[in-house]
Amino acid sequence: MADGFNTEDMLDMYLFENQQLLEKLQETVLEQKDEECFDEDAINEIFRTMHTIKGSSGIMMFDDITAVSHKLEDIFYVLRESHPDNVPHLQLVEHVLEVSDFITSELEKIENGEAADGDSSEIIARLDKFLKQIKGEKDTEEKKEAKKDTSAQKFYIAPVASNSSKYFRIKITYNEGVNLVNVHAYKAVYALKEIAEDLIYSPEDIISDESSAEQILENGFDILLQTQAKEADIREIIKEGYDVKRVDVLECTEAEYKRGFDDEEETPIIMIDLDSSVEEIEAKAERTQEQIMEEAKSKALVPGDFVIQSKEPGKAKKLAKDKPKKSEKATFINVDVAKMDQLMDLIGELVISQSVVLQNPDLKVPGLSLDNFNKSAAQMVKISTDLQNVIMSMRMVPLTNTFQKMNRIVFDVSRKLGKDTEFVTVGETTEVDKNIVEHISDPLMHLVRNSVDHGIEMPEDRAAAGKTERARVTLSAKTESGKVWITVEDNGKGLDRQQILNKARNQGLLDYSKPESAYTDKEVYQFITLPGFSTKEKVTEYSGRGVGMDVVLSNIASIGGSLEIESEKGKGSKMILKIPLTLAIIDGIVMRVGDTSFVIETGVVKEFVSVTEDMMIHDPDHREFVMIRGECYPVLRVGDRYHLTGYQTEVEKGMMVIMEVDGQHVCLFVDSLVGKQEIVVKPIPTYVKKVKGLSGCTQLGDGSIALILDGAGLVD
Amino acid sequence: MDERDTQKGKYVTFKSGCEYFGLKIQYVNEIIVFQEITKIPESEDYIKGLINLRGKIIPVIDVRLRFKQEPFEYTDRTCIIVVNVKNIVVGLIVEQIAEVVEIQEENIIPSPSVGKADKSQNKYVYAIGKVGDQVKLLLDPDRLLNDEEITALDPNSGNAEDEGDE
Repeated sequence: MADGFNTEDMLDMYLFENQQLLEKLQETVLEQKDEECFDEDAINEIFRTMHTIKGSSGIMMFDDITAVSHKLEDIFYVLRESHPDNVPHLQLVEHVLEVSDFITSELEKIENGEAADGDSSEIIARLDKFLKQIKGEKDTEEKKEAKKDTSAQKFYIAPVASNSSKYFRIKITYNEGVNLVNVHAYKAVYALKEIAEDLIYSPEDIISDESSAEQILENGFDILLQTQAKEADIREIIKEGYDVKRVDVLECTEAEYKRGFDDEEETPIIMIDLDSSVEEIEAKAERTQEQIMEEAKSKALVPGDFVIQSKEPGKAKKLAKDKPKKSEKATFINVDVAKMDQLMDLIGELVISQSVVLQNPDLKVPGLSLDNFNKSAAQMVKISTDLQNVIMSMRMVPLTNTFQKMNRIVFDVSRKLGKDTEFVTVGETTEVDKNIVEHISDPLMHLVRNSVDHGIEMPEDRAAAGKTERARVTLSAKTESGKVWITVEDNGKGLDRQQILNKARNQGLLDYSKPESAYTDKEVYQFITLPGFSTKEKVTEYSGRGVGMDVVLSNIASIGGSLEIESEKGKGSKMILKIPLTLAIIDGIVMRVGDTSFVIETGVVKEFVSVTEDMMIHDPDHREFVMIRGECYPVLRVGDRYHLTGYQTEVEKGMMVIMEVDGQHVCLFVDSLVGKQEIVVKPIPTYVKKVKGLSGCTQLGDGSIALILDGAGLVD
Repeated sequence: MDERDTQKGKYVTFKSGCEYFGLKIQYVNEIIVFQEITKIPESEDYIKGLINLRGKIIPVIDVRLRFKQEPFEYTDRTCIIVVNVKNIVVGLIVEQIAEVVEIQEENIIPSPSVGKADKSQNKYVYAIGKVGDQVKLLLDPDRLLNDEEITALDPNSGNAEDEGDE
C-alpha cells in the first residue's frame, strides 16, 4: 500500500456505507414482507445493494461477506432476470434478513477491531439450496417429484373463467440469432399476464431450462390465452421487433383451448414435452377427432396446471406497476455526532463573538456614523439566529427508524413462535430529540417483544376465542402536552389481574392491610414492572425471565419518562410511554433576577402580571401572597430564594409570573422578562451540587448562561 | 506515545497569592482569559459559577478560595485554566499564569508532612518541584477538585431531567 494511503479512513467509509446499505435493505425487505412478492424496485435494490457490498467487501478482503453477498446477489439476479413464480416469499425474506444479519454482525466485529471470522458456509449452503429451488434445478432423481411440488406451489389458484372470455392461440416466432430467447419468451408471457385470465404456454420450462431457447428459436413459442382483451390488444403487447419475427394470433374456441397443446410426451399431464411444436400440433389436428379427444383426455394439459394465473380476471398480478404507495421517507445523511456537537459549539462561539463585535467598545466612540454598520449587523444577527435554529432542529429526528426496527422484531418473534402478527405503525414521523431516540430504542424493543410473546395468543387460541387469527401489534407515537406518547398496543389476551395479584402475594409485595380488591388496575399492572416479576409460566427465548420490565422502567425513568399500562383481559393491553419531547430543547421564558438569567418552561407559565404593593398580603410567618382577580397566590421571590444580589425588591417594578405545577399555583417574582425562546437544555455540570429547583442550564443567544427553573422543584 | 513523551515532566505554573503552583500539563486542556461567570445559587463559595466554553458549560472554581485564602479581585490578568480530571472538566480561576516549565524528576520532592504551608494547602500539594532557585508547589488536581466533594459527584446528579418535567 502506498504511503499516506489511509486504510483506516477507507475502513471507516466501508463500514459506514455498508451499514447504511444494510439498514436501507432491511427497511425495504420488511416493508414488503407481507406482500406476495417483492416488487421490481425492491428486487433491483436488493440486487444492487448486494452487488455493492460484494464489491466493497472484496476490495477490503472480507471474504465471507463477499461470498454471502455474492450468493444473495445470485438469487436476486435470477429473480430479476427470469421472474420465477415459485418463490416462497417468506422464505426469501428470511434469507435476505439472515444475510443482512450476518453481514451486520461481521461489520460490527470489524468495527470493534476484531477479525471478521464469522462462518458463511452454512448460510451459503442454505442460499444455494434456495437458489436451486427457485431455479428448479433439483437433482435429477428428485426432478419429477420436485416439479410436481413446484407446480403445485406455482399454480395454486384455480382458473377463473367468465362468459365473455375469448380464447386465443398465439404463436411467436423469433428471429434467429436472438440471444436468450427463452427470456424474451418469458417477457411476452409476463406482459400477457397483465391481461390474462388464464394462460398456457409451450415450451413450459422456459425459465430454468436454457435449452428451451433452442426449441423456441426452432419451433416458435406457443401461448394459449384466455382473456377479455381483443386481438389488437394482444398484438399491441407482443409487438414485432428486432427479436420477434412474426406473431400469429388466432382466436379459438373454449374447447380447443381446454385441449391445450397436444403433444406426444409419454409422461402424463405434468411433464410437458419440450419438443412439441406447432407442426406437431397441426399434424395431430389431422387425426381423427376421436383420437384427439382420447389423447386430450389423457395427455392434454388441464388448464390450471401449467398456467400463470392472475388473481382476478383482468387484474394483473402484483407487478411494479401497482406497487404499494411508498411510505413517505425523508432522505437522510448520517453525520458524525461529534461533528454535530462541534458545529453546535462553533455556532455558540460565533454568537459570542458576534456580540463581542456588535458591542465592541470601539463603536461607542462619539460622533461615529453607524447606520450602515447597524444595517449589516442586523442582517448578520438574523442569519446567525436562523443558523442556530437550524442546528437545534437538526437534533430532532423522526422515530421512523426506531419503529422500523420494531417491525423486524415483530416479524422474527412471531415467525419463531408460530404466531401470525400484523404490525401497524402510526405517527412514526413524530420527531424526538436524538438522545431520546437512543434511549427509547431498547425499552421499546422489550415492550414490542413482550407484546408478541406474552400478549398475543397462538392462532388457534385466538380462533377459539373468536378473534381474528392474525393478531395485531400497533406502535404509535404522538405528541401531547409537551411529551411524546409512544404506545405499544396489542389485541392479545391482555393482562390477567388475578394472576398478577397471586404472584404479587407470593412474592410478598401486597400490603396485607389492604384488601386485594382495593388495588386499582393501574396499581396491579405496575407490579409487572418490578424486578423479577414475571407471570409467564414458561421462560422462552424472548421473554419471561422477569428481567425486562423493570429495566424498561428504569431506562424510561432515566430520561424523565413514565410508563402507563392499560389492559383489558381478553382484549389486549396497551403500554404507554410518556417521554419528554426533548432532553435538549425546551420552549422557555427567559427572565432576569439581579444579574442572573433564569428560564422557565413555557408550559407551566399561566400568565404574567404586574402587581401593585396593595395587592400584596404578608402573614406573620413572613410568607407573602398576592391577590390577583380575587385569587390568592403564594409568592416566591426568586432573588430571595437563591440569595442573589442586586435584584428588584419593589413589586411594582418587577413582574409576577404565575405558574401552575401539578394543580398548584405559585407566583414567581422576577425583575423583568427578557423574552420567549427555544433553549438548549444542558445539565448543570456534575461537579456542582444539585440545587433544588434548578433543572439545568442553557446558553442564551448572547452566549451568557441562564439557569433553568424547574417548576416542580420550586413548588415543594 | 509521542504526546505523552513530550508532555512528560512539564508543568503549567501559575501564581496564586505569593506562591507558584504547578499542574501537570496533561491535565490542562487550555487556558482562557477570564470571562463572565454565571453564579449558581446555593453552592460552595469557591465554586464561582458556570462559564460558557464554546457552547460547553463548565463550572469554574476560584483556587484562592479553594485554598481558603483571601479572595482576590479579578482583573484582565486573571486567567482560567481549564483542566480535565477523570473526564470532569473544570475551570480554575488563577491570578496569573506564569509559564510552562520542565521539572526533572530528581528535582521533585514529596511535600513535607509538616510543612510551613498551612494545613489546608497541604491537602492539595503532593510534591514540591525545584526549578532553579524557585519552588513550585505541585498540585494534585484530583484532590483539588474532589476532596470533600465526593457527595457532590453523585453520578446521577448529572441528569438534569431527573426531577424535572414532572
